[in-house]
Amino acid sequence: MDFDSYDLDPAIYDEMLLPDGTHRAHCAEIYETLRELSPEEIDLIQERVTRMFSTEGITFTVYGDDEADERIIPVDCVPRVVSRADWEHLERGLTQRLQAINLFLGDVYGQGRILEDGVIPVDVVRGCPQYRLEMRGVSPPSGTWVAVCGTDIVRTNDGFFVLEDNLRVPSGVSYMIANRKAVKESLRRLYRSSRVRGVEQYGSLLRATLQELAPEGCSDPAIALLTPGVYNSAFYEHMFLARELGADLVEGRDLVVDGGVVYARTTTGLRRIDVIYRRVDDDFLDPLVFRPDSLLGVPGLMEAYRLGNVTLANAPGTGVADDKSVYAYVPDMIRYYLAEEPVLHNVETYLCRRPEDLEYTLDNLDSLVVKRVGESGGYGMLVGPHATPEERNEYAKGVREDPAGFIAQPTLALSRSPCLVDGRLEPRHVDLRPFVLQGRETRIVPGAFCRVALRRGSLVVNSSQGGGGKDLWVLD
Amino acid sequence: MLARSAQGLYWMSRYLERAEHLSRLLWLQTETLVDRPLPEIHLGWRRIYDMIGRRPPSGELVAPDSDDYALADAYTLADDLTFERSNPSSVRSCFALGRENGRQMRQSISGEMWTSLNLSYLRLQQLEIQDVWGASPEGFFAETAAAVDRFRGVAAATMYRDGGRHFMQLGRHIERAQLLLGLLLSQLAADRSIEEASEEGWTSLLRLYHAFEAYTDRYSVEVEREQVMDILVTSPRLPHSLMRTLDQIVFELDAIGPGPDAQSSEEARGEGDGLSALLHETWPVRDDTEGLLRRLSERCRTLHDLVNSCYFEYPTAPALPR
Repeated sequence: MDFDSYDLDPAIYDEMLLPDGTHRAHCAEIYETLRELSPEEIDLIQERVTRMFSTEGITFTVYGDDEADERIIPVDCVPRVVSRADWEHLERGLTQRLQAINLFLGDVYGQGRILEDGVIPVDVVRGCPQYRLEMRGVSPPSGTWVAVCGTDIVRTNDGFFVLEDNLRVPSGVSYMIANRKAVKESLRRLYRSSRVRGVEQYGSLLRATLQELAPEGCSDPAIALLTPGVYNSAFYEHMFLARELGADLVEGRDLVVDGGVVYARTTTGLRRIDVIYRRVDDDFLDPLVFRPDSLLGVPGLMEAYRLGNVTLANAPGTGVADDKSVYAYVPDMIRYYLAEEPVLHNVETYLCRRPEDLEYTLDNLDSLVVKRVGESGGYGMLVGPHATPEERNEYAKGVREDPAGFIAQPTLALSRSPCLVDGRLEPRHVDLRPFVLQGRETRIVPGAFCRVALRRGSLVVNSSQGGGGKDLWVLD
Repeated sequence: MLARSAQGLYWMSRYLERAEHLSRLLWLQTETLVDRPLPEIHLGWRRIYDMIGRRPPSGELVAPDSDDYALADAYTLADDLTFERSNPSSVRSCFALGRENGRQMRQSISGEMWTSLNLSYLRLQQLEIQDVWGASPEGFFAETAAAVDRFRGVAAATMYRDGGRHFMQLGRHIERAQLLLGLLLSQLAADRSIEEASEEGWTSLLRLYHAFEAYTDRYSVEVEREQVMDILVTSPRLPHSLMRTLDQIVFELDAIGPGPDAQSSEEARGEGDGLSALLHETWPVRDDTEGLLRRLSERCRTLHDLVNSCYFEYPTAPALPR
């Protein structure tokens, strides 16, 4: 394969190549390997990678008008490589960020010092739909509200930026491991000689984390993973993680609460459950406390939780910290709680609830990305430079009607990484989602779910909207 | 193990047994299309539809009066029984349902089992009747049945011998017993509809259950209805014989042990023992064979209901620890 026709743009950071077309120092091995491979050989590698996903049924579900559709996530066989120094920088920043977020959650559901001190406006927090009054006064084990965090990070020519913190039920870690398995088996020699750090230990680290968060006095906790069920888009991941954890994969109907204790229905009777890694949204966890029409949850679960008889990871109410408006204040949280400067920077964010930010947003719609604060997965978003004037006008109406429901950010020149497209190497925009585990200590596997915007020129990396995945190699 | 997981494995196994059984029947049926007389072909289709309790797409099966008609009819019927998505008993539907149960319980089966099941499912998803009919439908059905055999082999080699395995085996054997009983009853009904008992029909049952050689060893090359039934019902060495299947059900219930409620556990275990005892004590019954087969079939359904209420969908309150 050659890079002769590779569309290198010096204005956009390329993960493998320098602006002059030579490779970055840490990418030497992969660059040389790619150059040595014939188009037929790399096609074969891509085919093997894709076939593994199909054979193993590694799927996600997309909901259309008629029915749920089980799809294979597209995977690109060319790994993205991150240097050791870059990774250490990311690790420091992610650890710092999650530490501050956990302190923030304990504070806003406790004394509310940060609000009293005026660091964050009260209405931004208490007016957030994800703020759960039911969690006031609750103290989760080890002060850990967020046990599993998946932070979306992008890189530009100016460095790394945090795009968002996923603090409720972040998904994608199973694809990180599946991508690794497929690519590792297909690029064996390169993988070995590149001294790539492993990610396969994620399951045991998650188990250790959940064990540390068990209710007091419970030394060998029974762990269950609570899934909304087979029709959930991330069901493959739930199954995968339950297997890795050695935990029961339960739905709400498998659990009962009696006397403030949670039990699972087994073939020999009811068995006590101590820790629930829940992958069900807050709204559906307990129909007696949240949405009464929920069939996914467990009546009485919150009572058991408040009594300290079961741990929920992540804790309910963590969504207040990954709300798109609250996101803008994370650097302030870091300064407030840790008295440190943030290692990782936020993307500059305009809160349309502020009149001056609203005015700026409406005046610059053609250059901004505007997002609804309550949406995720790339939905409800306007990418200004890619939208038509009609689409921008229509979107502006919604922003004017509910300014507090929107934020805006500059359109970033997301970094690009070489991908195999129609038998050629072409650059595509990428991001990365590393996973941080917080028990009594912080654990981060050296890897991430690397998402790729497979459509030429697209900045949307979400798998539900044409995005794919890529293995990410952190070098030792 | 989790009650819902056990239930999923139980049903996965039932659906795959059903898929394999129907594939084998269709394999034999498509063989008859090559050189057998039209009435025999007609009876073969009727036996299959009777067994699965479904009406053919045209509403009624009409005896063909020409080879062209018989072949055109066969194409439609084979499509309905193999690929029709709206037919819950078609081979494709059974595979899809088996695989769906397996997908929901992937954490309870080995990775190799899942891969084997998923590959068979994907193969069936990509095919339609026109893809298999022109070349070798017999080969297609043989391969489809073999896919279930392979899955069982992989399961035997890789799955823990825990509760999940026993629930899988229990589902498989309850399904097998019901299918065999249904097919014997269908064949008896087919015999009644013609003047002479069809030797070919009974021969095909021997071939279906891998019993032809055992039959000729024990009896002769002459195929007699009573003797075929004897061997299919009672042979201790025939993997698919009814007696062996019922004994296997008792074994699996023993291995699973009691559920949360002592009384319903007793009932389930009692029904399994009763089924086996009824056959051991009463066979052969020459005067009312159909009556006995029907009673056994009904008791298999009862056993299924008892297994369901004992292990899978039991009332919660009595199971709470006190």
